Amino acid sequence: MRRDHTAEAASPTAATFLSRRGFLGAVGGGLAATTLAACGSGGGSTGSGSEIVFMNQSRGQAAALGQLARKYTQQTGVKIKIDDVGPADFLTKLQSSSQSHNMPDIYSAMDSFSMAPYYKAGWAMDLTERMKGSWGDTFRPATLRTTTFTADNPQHVKPGIYSAHWESPALGIFVNASMFKAAGLDADQPPATMSEFIDQLRKIKKSGKDPFWFAASLSNQLVQSYASNYFTDEELNATFTGKSSWKSEGWRRTFQLLVDLRDAGVISTGSLPSGNSDNPNVEKAFFNNQGVAAIFDGTSAVGVARATAPDFTDFRSFPVPKADDGTQTPRLVGGAAKGAAVNPRSKNADKALKFVQWLTDPDQQTAFAKEVPLIPSARAVPAENIPQQLTGIAAKVSDVQLVANQMNQQVVTALQKGAEAIVLKERSVDQVLGDLDTAQRRA
Amino acid sequence: MRHRNRMLAAGVFLAPALAMIAVFTVIPFVQGILLSFQSWDGVSADTPFVGLDNYRWVMDDTEFWGSMKNAVVFGAVGLVVANAVSMVMALAVHRARRGSAFFRTVYYLPGVFSTVVVGVMFSWFLDPKIGIVNQALKTLGLDGLTHNWLGDPKTAVIAVAAVFVWYHWGFGFILFLAGRQDVPNELYEAASLDGARGWAQFRYVTWPGMSHVTGIVSVLTLLSGLQIFGTVQVLTNGGPAGHTSVPTLNIYQQAFQFNEYGRAAAMSVIFGACLVALACVQLWVSRRLGGGTNSRTEKGR
Repeated sequence: MRRDHTAEAASPTAATFLSRRGFLGAVGGGLAATTLAACGSGGGSTGSGSEIVFMNQSRGQAAALGQLARKYTQQTGVKIKIDDVGPADFLTKLQSSSQSHNMPDIYSAMDSFSMAPYYKAGWAMDLTERMKGSWGDTFRPATLRTTTFTADNPQHVKPGIYSAHWESPALGIFVNASMFKAAGLDADQPPATMSEFIDQLRKIKKSGKDPFWFAASLSNQLVQSYASNYFTDEELNATFTGKSSWKSEGWRRTFQLLVDLRDAGVISTGSLPSGNSDNPNVEKAFFNNQGVAAIFDGTSAVGVARATAPDFTDFRSFPVPKADDGTQTPRLVGGAAKGAAVNPRSKNADKALKFVQWLTDPDQQTAFAKEVPLIPSARAVPAENIPQQLTGIAAKVSDVQLVANQMNQQVVTALQKGAEAIVLKERSVDQVLGDLDTAQRRA
Repeated sequence: MRHRNRMLAAGVFLAPALAMIAVFTVIPFVQGILLSFQSWDGVSADTPFVGLDNYRWVMDDTEFWGSMKNAVVFGAVGLVVANAVSMVMALAVHRARRGSAFFRTVYYLPGVFSTVVVGVMFSWFLDPKIGIVNQALKTLGLDGLTHNWLGDPKTAVIAVAAVFVWYHWGFGFILFLAGRQDVPNELYEAASLDGARGWAQFRYVTWPGMSHVTGIVSVLTLLSGLQIFGTVQVLTNGGPAGHTSVPTLNIYQQAFQFNEYGRAAAMSVIFGACLVALACVQLWVSRRLGGGTNSRTEKGR
């Protein structure tokens, strides 16, 4: 069965005089014509032909993107229309655009799981060959690796690269420097091991402050960060693709981190916040209220801080501390965030590709980084453009995990639920690992 | 001939409404059922038939069936607590000699807000650190009663249910108020002459007189409780550790997070059938109760 939507516009029957029956016929015909016309014409682009339409998901980067688009128009004469639909409506609007065959020329590329159906359906240009040239050389290897669909990808997308990114994020620990100082600790000296970090958090707690918090929706990222102490990237990939079981010693030790944090009593409120705005609530507690000394978050948090708590700058960042009993060098979770995919069915596909190539050029990424606090994906962007609060994480950004496939969304959901259950002492580590195997098998 | 013309005109005038119902209700309904036998990722043009695979998958999904328990809790809370609160408020406002317009507006107001606004607002109110609820308790010296309302499994369902009641009481309130105003005063006068006071008047005059409204409000609040989604998604997203998970949230996750639209459709069909069955039971019970009491009311008249 096919789900193609094609329709022809009907026109009302001409009437020589307007009798009642003729009037009703004309009204009926008009309604039918309007309804059928609204179904779309089966085209592949929303653009008018002369302008390129970019459906943008990001609110935080909208202004910077708009500025760069205007600059590009001035330089080349090619008009770029940025359609800022925002994060809440982006996927819904993109899905309805694909169903009506009315896709934009360019659209934001998010995580691989969400975008895979579009890539599978042929709505994204395969950039693999183009990335083999000088364009590809401008990116950090981690950005390219994490955006490459390999042959064993569980989404069954044809192997290749379908998006180009200008942000290379990473996740780590953010600490309130003055709270650390008040507890006799030096925030500029990151803890060498996880046990040292937990000791620091205990001291924070003794000083009467809330020590550490992270959102349930980021628990999978924390777990994956810490797992790199026990697994190589290939071993992580084997688990994420279901070739290896979650019930292994490495994962047991990884999840033990949650038990250790819980038993040390350093998780603020004794539970992980959940809900739609769980991470915003954590960020609010850290940046706005300064009610918690340390959080686990992504580098994009600095942009949130700059927008919502511009006066609070006394914080530092560092990667998740290494495990005391780790067998591998720990690596950050990250690689690629904001980027774009080009619609190959668009009449403007070549022009759109040129714009995306221009947008991801180091010069434009430098301009981007000046407007929005982020770690650029271009290797050549000078370090002074990286915000001071991100330098701790940025220093290790070359140590990003190069895992070919990510956890599927069903496993992510089960892991987040399991992390909450461990912190609440409702499930043991072994039970949660069993749940993850089940989620992987049933996905 | 004239009759035929009248029928034709009626058909033409009904046609737009019927077309709307067909496009926005009947076709999606049929498509939803059809989709439950297919596999679709939400984008692909191919939607192969998979027979009963989706239904088999749902039957084995312990999380979906586990979440039914919470739906029943929210349905029961909606049916009993939300309706009781709405009725008490409606009766109080009906009796009020002053400020009834003010209270009518205030009590109805929560239902005007969008679910997301309500969810975000209460997630702030119930925040364990800076929430107004805990801050108020601290101000009153009741530090011992401060709590992680949404983070503790013992209180999360109660907190979400309380928000649900607050959000939905306006709907029941306005209908109960209209129903109460519909009960003739002569019945109360007659009841007074027979010596009926407070509770007796409510039991034998007010309750039977409002039975038709109670029936419809009960069905609608029961269904609202069973289908609760937005409040849960914004407040807890099913957490902590799945304690507030509901079927609608599972359906949403399957479709929009896991890109498994066929499984989501199968869940919807099963859940929809459960809702229809429960609504039928509820209507039957209402008719049984209302039918008897209505006849008494008619006799009273």
